Amino acid sequence: MGTSRKPPARSREAAPTPSVKSRQRERHPTSLQLALTEVPPAAPSLQSVIPLRQLWLCVYLPALPLEALIDTPEPAAVFEEQQGVRKILLANAQARAAGVGPDLAVNAALALLPALHLAERNPVREAQVLRSLAAWASKFTSFVCIEAPSLLLLEIAGSLTLFGGIKALRRRIVRGLDSQGFDAGVAIAPTPLAATWLARAGRRVCIRDPRNLVGRLGPLPIICLGWPVSVYTSLKGMGVTSVGEALRLPRQGFAKRFGANRLLDLDRALGRLPDPRVSYRAPERFTADYELNEEESDAKLLLNACRELLVQLECFLLSRQMAVQHIEFSFFHLQIPASSLSLGCVQPGRAMQHWLDLLDIKFDRLELPAPVIAIQLCAGQGQQFSAETDVLRFNREDGRRQSTSIAQLAERLSARIGDELVHGVTVVADHRPQYAWQPRSNFEDIPHCANVPSCQVDSHAPELLAEIHRTNRLVLQRPLWVLPEPEPLLSESGVPYYQGPLKLLEGPERLETGWWDGDGIARDYFVAVNPAGVHLWIYRNRNQDKGDWYVHGKFG
Amino acid sequence: MSEILENLLKNPRIWRGQARAGSSGWQGLASGYPKLDQHLPGGGWPQHALTEILLDHYGTGELQLLMPALARLSQPQVDREDGKEAGWIAWIAPPFEPYPPALKQWGVNLSRVLIVRPRGGKEALWAAEQALISGNCAAVLLWSNELDDSASRRLQLAAEAGQCWAIAFRSLKALSQSSAAALRVRLDTGEQGGTDLGILKSRGGRPAVVRDYAG
Repeated sequence: MGTSRKPPARSREAAPTPSVKSRQRERHPTSLQLALTEVPPAAPSLQSVIPLRQLWLCVYLPALPLEALIDTPEPAAVFEEQQGVRKILLANAQARAAGVGPDLAVNAALALLPALHLAERNPVREAQVLRSLAAWASKFTSFVCIEAPSLLLLEIAGSLTLFGGIKALRRRIVRGLDSQGFDAGVAIAPTPLAATWLARAGRRVCIRDPRNLVGRLGPLPIICLGWPVSVYTSLKGMGVTSVGEALRLPRQGFAKRFGANRLLDLDRALGRLPDPRVSYRAPERFTADYELNEEESDAKLLLNACRELLVQLECFLLSRQMAVQHIEFSFFHLQIPASSLSLGCVQPGRAMQHWLDLLDIKFDRLELPAPVIAIQLCAGQGQQFSAETDVLRFNREDGRRQSTSIAQLAERLSARIGDELVHGVTVVADHRPQYAWQPRSNFEDIPHCANVPSCQVDSHAPELLAEIHRTNRLVLQRPLWVLPEPEPLLSESGVPYYQGPLKLLEGPERLETGWWDGDGIARDYFVAVNPAGVHLWIYRNRNQDKGDWYVHGKFG
Repeated sequence: MSEILENLLKNPRIWRGQARAGSSGWQGLASGYPKLDQHLPGGGWPQHALTEILLDHYGTGELQLLMPALARLSQPQVDREDGKEAGWIAWIAPPFEPYPPALKQWGVNLSRVLIVRPRGGKEALWAAEQALISGNCAAVLLWSNELDDSASRRLQLAAEAGQCWAIAFRSLKALSQSSAAALRVRLDTGEQGGTDLGILKSRGGRPAVVRDYAG
């Protein structure tokens, strides 16, 4: 633990975070005096001021610089440039076994282990990973706070009942981190600072009662407090190495010597002062990238990468009670512009498996022009997720039948075939045959249709039903097939031909309407039959070219 | 003697035509045409199997043949003996536009009609299989020129798995090809102008010709 505890302290130094900078500024005399006035008068009078019972779970990721960049079972290390020398910052277990460790020069490390994978530390990437972890963690609590560069704080007091107690919740979080490949220290305490210090010290403890804080924090070494190295060295010079010893120092003197903020830190950690934090709020639209180590064209590997992005999307949506209808994958290539793949579904959805199924179908047909180096997932505008109420089925033998909804079937089909090529139908009240119907894309029931008189069917009398339809046919004569566009027919001395001369059976039925919108018709429709027995729906225009016949439908 | 005969009949390689109708559980779905129902084992269309309809010209009454049965399947009915909800009717790769006003006249519940227009024959088969096994569809109508023996077997299995009625329309050229369909019929124009229906193969039944089925 000793080796892994050290590097982040150094990394703080190397890449000073705003908070460190501000602390350094506070050592300026004027700000010290200002700060002194804020120092609380005396400790004993301050009892626990934690307003509500809070419980903070701190996730400390000591190996984040390495884990954010490299995911390989082979020896690997992250290096950082310090004063012109490139030095190893963190090495994985395989590399450590070969003797590569922190502070070793890169050249020396390569001499020890020529096959070592090396990457330069990338704080931007670390921040990205931390943000995505925060998004993931927000499924456990509504309050997640990112503490740069390698800490997450989760307020879990409100989540304990839901997740079945503190132990179960902690186990879930640890396992989740583990499955994502993060080596994390997790500690729980009633104040955020105490949890942070405990996690940094590698104590996997769980303190629930604020009264125990003093006793449990006392043995912690000063170094895990994350204070500037100068404070640490001067405390050490005074013979103070643990938190308990620091607490025994006189308060006024401590504040004068090390800055009021150090004292405030101690008070906040012990719960004597409130310690408000700002919750992490992820952006409203989901975007995530997946960078591949090298160019890949293997479909299986790419699908796996897409799957990880979809897992992130699911967490993102779950934490917001949202769902999306469209998502878009962009596949980046080295030389040529990115190719994209968009997926849509009928109902807004958020289940990862569902998107994965659709992706699977569509990915088969995607031809990538070049190997892929990175993948980006952008989700469309989120919508309020509305879950459907379902009935509880007891011993229903055909429960399997309802396993997928029609919307899901339509999605699967349109993912492969195309959106506009899968549709339902509905009728429109218009006498013009071409406007009497239109496709529809939602698959809800049409309430009024089920109860129109012509639809009411007595299921027990098929003969009667057939009779009704025979009479219906005589009255209304609408063909079951229509042609997309009416086709002109050849005619000989007034008799239309369709694979032979046509015999008119019924008609004419005159349709003259639609003059108001410029697309009016004036037609006489007939039912005709050709020698092969094909029944056709044909018409003549009334106004012009009286002789011309058109076929509009077939009585299938 | 009878014991020997019974042992012999237990041999799975012996196929008994009449006995299969009961054992295969072919629940007839009344076609709405009494003349036709007489000749179909189970008194109607095979509900959870593949039916092939072979014809040369569209517009000779091939859809009217199915309409009463489809109308019944698409209606929500509480008293349906199997307790199922109204099923969807998928039209896959129809040669023309199915005309909704006419469907409505025949009593088909339009809110249960799904039209799919795949770009190629292979996609049509894929879409039909997906629709059959999804379990939402009561009937799947497929128009395909690429239906061969193995494809028909797949559709037949999918229809059984999804408990769905599959109907494939093929040209009369497919007459000589073998097929796994439970029922194969051909449509021809009769002498009096009606449509004659020839039952070529029916599982558990006998070939027959129904003259002017609607008359």
